[in-house]
Amino acid sequence: MSSKTGKPRIRSAAWRISLWATFAFACGTLVFFVFLQDFVASDIQRRTDAWLSGEVEVLGDVAEHTPKNALYSRVVSEVAELATREVPNRLPSEDNFNDSVFFLQTGRDGALKLWVGIGSGDTALKAIEAVRILSDHPTDLRVPGFAVPFRVASIPIKDGSRIYLGLSERDDLRVLKDLRLRFFLLWLLLVLLGFGMVFFSTRRMLSHVRNITEAASTIGHSDLNARVPVARRRDEVSQLALTLNNMLDRIERSMHQLHTITDSLAHDLRSPLTAIRGKLESSLTAADEERDEAIVSAIDELDRLTDFLNKSLDVAEAKADALRVARSQVDLDELLRVMIDLYEPSMSEKGLKVEMQSSGPLRVLADPALLHRMIANLLDNELKHLPANCTVRIGLLSSDEAASIVFEDDGPGFDPEVLAQLFERRVKGRGSNGHGLGLAFVDAVARAHGGAVTAENPDRGGARIAVALPLVSGAPCDSTYSPAVART
Amino acid sequence: MRLLLVEDEVEIQSFLRRSLEEAGYEVEAASDGKTAARLAAEGPFDILIVDLGLPDQDGIGLILHLRQMGVSAPVLILSARRSVDDRVRGLEQGGDDYLTKPFALAELLARLRNLLKRNSPKGGEATRLRVLDLELDLLRREAARGGQVLQLTQQEFVLLEYLCRNAGRVVTRSMILDKVWGMRIQPDTNVVDVHIYRLRGKVDGAGQQPLIRTMRGVGYVLKDR
Repeated sequence: MSSKTGKPRIRSAAWRISLWATFAFACGTLVFFVFLQDFVASDIQRRTDAWLSGEVEVLGDVAEHTPKNALYSRVVSEVAELATREVPNRLPSEDNFNDSVFFLQTGRDGALKLWVGIGSGDTALKAIEAVRILSDHPTDLRVPGFAVPFRVASIPIKDGSRIYLGLSERDDLRVLKDLRLRFFLLWLLLVLLGFGMVFFSTRRMLSHVRNITEAASTIGHSDLNARVPVARRRDEVSQLALTLNNMLDRIERSMHQLHTITDSLAHDLRSPLTAIRGKLESSLTAADEERDEAIVSAIDELDRLTDFLNKSLDVAEAKADALRVARSQVDLDELLRVMIDLYEPSMSEKGLKVEMQSSGPLRVLADPALLHRMIANLLDNELKHLPANCTVRIGLLSSDEAASIVFEDDGPGFDPEVLAQLFERRVKGRGSNGHGLGLAFVDAVARAHGGAVTAENPDRGGARIAVALPLVSGAPCDSTYSPAVART
Repeated sequence: MRLLLVEDEVEIQSFLRRSLEEAGYEVEAASDGKTAARLAAEGPFDILIVDLGLPDQDGIGLILHLRQMGVSAPVLILSARRSVDDRVRGLEQGGDDYLTKPFALAELLARLRNLLKRNSPKGGEATRLRVLDLELDLLRREAARGGQVLQLTQQEFVLLEYLCRNAGRVVTRSMILDKVWGMRIQPDTNVVDVHIYRLRGKVDGAGQQPLIRTMRGVGYVLKDR
């Protein structure tokens, strides 16, 4: 039914899930790389600053102790050395003379005293004066004519002058740029990889769901025997498949039950209906007296049919555990006596004796109407199947948790062929002319009350049926059957 | 006796109307809840028959609605459902009665009479019942025919009393089981017939006019003429 519309919808679900997951993943990794880049940049700057501070101190020392006339050449050689050898992160293939380091000394009055570096020292001095580098801590400095800023450290000398050492940040920035590029490529790779993994795993997962959907949509159209495929892994999807299959099992069982019921109903209804129809039809042409006879017997037949219908529906309902139980306090002793009173004349008419053994009132929480019908079924059963001169003993026993109603007779006993499935619907003895519903109903009523029925042929002969019902205190909670009661 | 019949199935409505009119009721019929409510508002009724499965609303809902409108007449509920709804049980305790389809006409009429009797003011319960030459002393629990005391068991006396109270009218087996034994069962066997047979043996002696008649296909009747 939904197999046509299912495919695109499921694909879009895989897309949607993958896109959202990838978005979240990309944001997370981006933040991580930004932090990492920041950390590396600050570390590089820290190391540069440390180097600069150390070098400026050395140069300060040199400036202090070198005679003025020799100072320039000394500083030039020092700076050249710094520029060639000691600058960190430097590319080897640089120009011979450096544009990456400068040295500047100001006099006590702040005028330019000594300049080593490319271009004019005045522009550098102006820039330094503009940002007023006074502290010992290295600072960024933009010098006009240079594309990249310098990192400048300064130190005062005893004679009142001040020296500045500048290092171009070009190399640092290049390293950082390299790093950022690599980080970006790595990030892109990770995001694509993540997207691919999420997309394919989601699609795989959803394809399981799609398989289940397709299988489920064919079931019911064709037959109820098919089941949806169950993956070996015990994940949510296979759980879904298992649940679906369990549901299908239940549906199949109910369908089977329904078929059995309708089949047997059709069978059991057809013959009496045929008889009724025939009788009424023949009464059309009959004489008055015969007509009355036909009509009366048709009514009798209809009554029996109604009764049979009610009983089959009761048993069917009970088999589906949907028998409605309206519980109230019932005295089993009194109930049995009334029923025996009702049946005794018919029994003695047939040459049967009834005896009752009870030790007084015994209260249970039960549905009196259902109990009435259950006992009536048992008594009808005895009445129909016992030969003359037999005795039916009805006993009421109680133990701590259950009351037992026991029917014993000294008749021929149950047909051994049917004893095992005596309480199944439509099972009846070979000689029986009943519907085979009576004992199935007895069983259903007992179970609806949380009790049980047992039937046997005792060694001393005859038949014995015992119905055990839980006593008031030990009665199973109403909740077992209250849903059925509420569902009216 | 004005009776409001609320039943949507035409066949059932027409045969009930005919039978009820034969039994002396003045019948107004409605096929749905709306018409029923309108008719009930127009004139007072002594008794109502309401089918549970109406096309436009639930029968119980209709009854509750009529009660709210101030209709206090007793209601006989007809139900095609097999088991009795809890709400029907509630109404039954409130003085109404129910009958499941299919039913014997005799039972329907008897239940109507019962409902009417229940709701009419009681003018002192009689202590003696008399049908032709049969006489029941309800206090001493004794029955006599033609002046001669009958040897009846307690159960037989109750059965005979029930027949006498409904003398001249047909009672069905299920009514007898309901009223005399207090149970709504449908035995596969002829238990009620045997009781009647024994009672008849004691009431209708040799040479006497038989009082208890079998109406085949329906039930029994105690003749009062």
